[in-house]
Amino acid sequence: MLKYLLVVLARDATSFCHYEAGGRRRGGADMIPLDRLEAAVLFALKNNLKVNFLYPGRRLGRAYDKLVESVDHVKIVPFAARSGHPGAILVVESSEIPGAADLAGLRGENFILRLRRADLPLLAAALKRLLPRAKRINVVLADVAGCGEAEYAEYRRQLEKILPEVLKLAARPDPPELNVLTDRLALGRMNNCEAGLAHLTVGPNGRLYLCPAFYYADPHESLGEIRGEIGIGNRRLLELKCAPICRICDAYQCKRCVFLNRALTLELNTPSAEQCRLAHVEREASRLYLGRLRESGSGEGLADIPEIAYQDPFDVAVEKKMSIADFKKL
Amino acid sequence: MSSVKNDPVKIETDRSWEASRSKNVTFVVTEDCQLRCRYCYMVGKNKAGRLKFDVARRAIDYLLGARDLVTEPSVVWDFIGGEPFLEVELIDRICDYFKVRAYELDHPWFERYRFSFSTNGLLYNDARVQRYIAKNSSHLSVQITVDGTRAKHDLQRVYPDGRGSYDDVARNIPRWLEQFPKSSTKVTVSSDDIPRIKESVLHLWGLGIKEVNINVVFEDVWKPGDDERFEAQLMALADETIDRRLYETRSCSFFSKTIGAPYVDNNNWCGAGRMLAVDHRGNFYPCVRFLGFSLQKRPALTIGNCLDGLDRNRLRPFLTLDMVSQSPEECLDCGVATGCAWCQGANYDFADTRTIFQRSVAICRMHKARVRANNYFWNRLGRKLGRDLRAEPRGGEGAGPC
Ligand code: SF4
Ligand code: SF4
Ligand code: SF4
Ligand code: SF4
Repeated sequence: MLKYLLVVLARDATSFCHYEAGGRRRGGADMIPLDRLEAAVLFALKNNLKVNFLYPGRRLGRAYDKLVESVDHVKIVPFAARSGHPGAILVVESSEIPGAADLAGLRGENFILRLRRADLPLLAAALKRLLPRAKRINVVLADVAGCGEAEYAEYRRQLEKILPEVLKLAARPDPPELNVLTDRLALGRMNNCEAGLAHLTVGPNGRLYLCPAFYYADPHESLGEIRGEIGIGNRRLLELKCAPICRICDAYQCKRCVFLNRALTLELNTPSAEQCRLAHVEREASRLYLGRLRESGSGEGLADIPEIAYQDPFDVAVEKKMSIADFKKL
Repeated sequence: MSSVKNDPVKIETDRSWEASRSKNVTFVVTEDCQLRCRYCYMVGKNKAGRLKFDVARRAIDYLLGARDLVTEPSVVWDFIGGEPFLEVELIDRICDYFKVRAYELDHPWFERYRFSFSTNGLLYNDARVQRYIAKNSSHLSVQITVDGTRAKHDLQRVYPDGRGSYDDVARNIPRWLEQFPKSSTKVTVSSDDIPRIKESVLHLWGLGIKEVNINVVFEDVWKPGDDERFEAQLMALADETIDRRLYETRSCSFFSKTIGAPYVDNNNWCGAGRMLAVDHRGNFYPCVRFLGFSLQKRPALTIGNCLDGLDRNRLRPFLTLDMVSQSPEECLDCGVATGCAWCQGANYDFADTRTIFQRSVAICRMHKARVRANNYFWNRLGRKLGRDLRAEPRGGEGAGPC
């Protein structure tokens, strides 16, 4: 069921996920036209949708602010623009990790850390700085395509390195969440991004997309105008049921990014090796973390994360096809 | 030869050479052809798309080297076109190169390979073609496409000026059958040639072609009433086959013991992605059906090239594709589903969005008609022979769609 609407307020609005946003075009129409923003807000109001507004680093002007404030929403803003948007989710780029002075005074923040492959070795240090200020941190790898064994190993090293810090903070009354380490512990089933199912995106051109990444990849590949009924061709391919690899997987924290799927395997329902391997590094780190939690005497009530012999569920899916009877139960 | 010992019922086709354990690599040596068959899915024939030896050499080098990804113990090198024998000298060089490299590398394929051809047969008696055949005869399969009677063949298999090609092919059949007595032919049925099915299969059997692989096209070409006409043709063929005891020596893929039951397993029908096609640019495709000239609506779908190798990510959908993920609900509950084929390339071409996960069911009514006639055939034959033939071990899978 549709629950959210993402609205990209400008072409150069911050990315919050596995894609690069666009730059500003000289003299071009970079901001979403006001009438389109109004249509998006109305659509949200009529369909009980909570809106996530993606902001650029600059001010938009009073007419925009007024429309934004007319609907339940969350703001996602670049870290540098935080002062104008109290309570917003702050996007931190791994190439610009804020210094201690920038973080002073922040508490209980929601961060998105967009991590570049080249900055992987800095991950633990960056998290160490952000975690004490955070209510939640979502780490997203910005450039997944082309990751190989070296990256998987480094990712694993970094997650293991930050583990003691997360464990230490777990003793706090309000321990911070770190998506790639703590989410899997709390989940009993898939908790994916669900682009196209749980949320849709209004691009800065005012048209609808599965998610912002699809807009930036090809603005022509739109779901159409904002209107009453939204038709998504082959919508079932977004569902877990029709994803032969993911439906047998228990890396529940994985975003199962349908944009990356499409970009790397050409199919919305088929993940790349990179996505699966990275998610399984996280799953394994989460398993390790659960063990430590239990050793430290907490973690009661949390379900086991079984040890598995594969690093990519593709290997399992290719070996054995799900039976028709099991499929029908899904 | 029947694969069930001492069984006088030949009617089902045998599986091709090591079909399930071989890597099937198709070289599209030319996109040109002397004919313009009306049903041909290669809609963009041209003279420019000719394979260069160097590209083929690189592809062979890659495939012989990628032992971690290409693990099959044997290989079938398929040469197709357009019309492959237009390029027989190039093919000869390619085959020689493979043999030498496989020997030098001590590759298991050196002992286990085959060269396979699907040809329109027009050049079969050409001296260069015959030289090639003599040189490679122990590792060769050649399938000449004859579509049935002159009338049926000439309805579809025509020269650019519209003239039929039957006589030019038929004159080469005797020599072909002499050289490859176990050969089969492939027949494709579209709406217009339904009335000629029975006479065509009988005609081909009469020419001495013992195995007829015959399929209806996957495109949505069917008109109201086609299923009934199709069923009537198959029943008439069944009667003739039984009354003249042709089932003892001949086979036709329309009749199969294994079709017409509900699904029990969830396998994909076609081998796209496990096989590989190589075009003149050196691009790899999951099957020839994914090349640009085979597609009407969608862009070509590559899975790598001979320089960078196979793209493992793009292979993942093909290797995990199953029946349930692409089929509509009615197929999962269908009482006669087995044997109801699809072509992944056609699915990709006709799908609502760019995906291989949407099964085209354009042949639904035709399959159901085939099942009814097939039941009729086995029940009638069973009564004649006093045996429950469908309860007996099966002779083969029944030919796949391609
Ligand atoms: S599909 Fe979801 S996870 Fe992927 S880029 Fe879009 S919003 Fe992010
Ligand atoms: S790890 Fe791979 S299989 Fe599992 S949910 Fe993520 S993308 Fe799907
Ligand atoms: S296409 Fe028709 S005949 Fe074939 S499986 Fe589906 S419902 Fe059955
Ligand atoms: S069924 Fe179609 S896609 Fe599959 S192998 Fe045959 S021609 Fe290729």
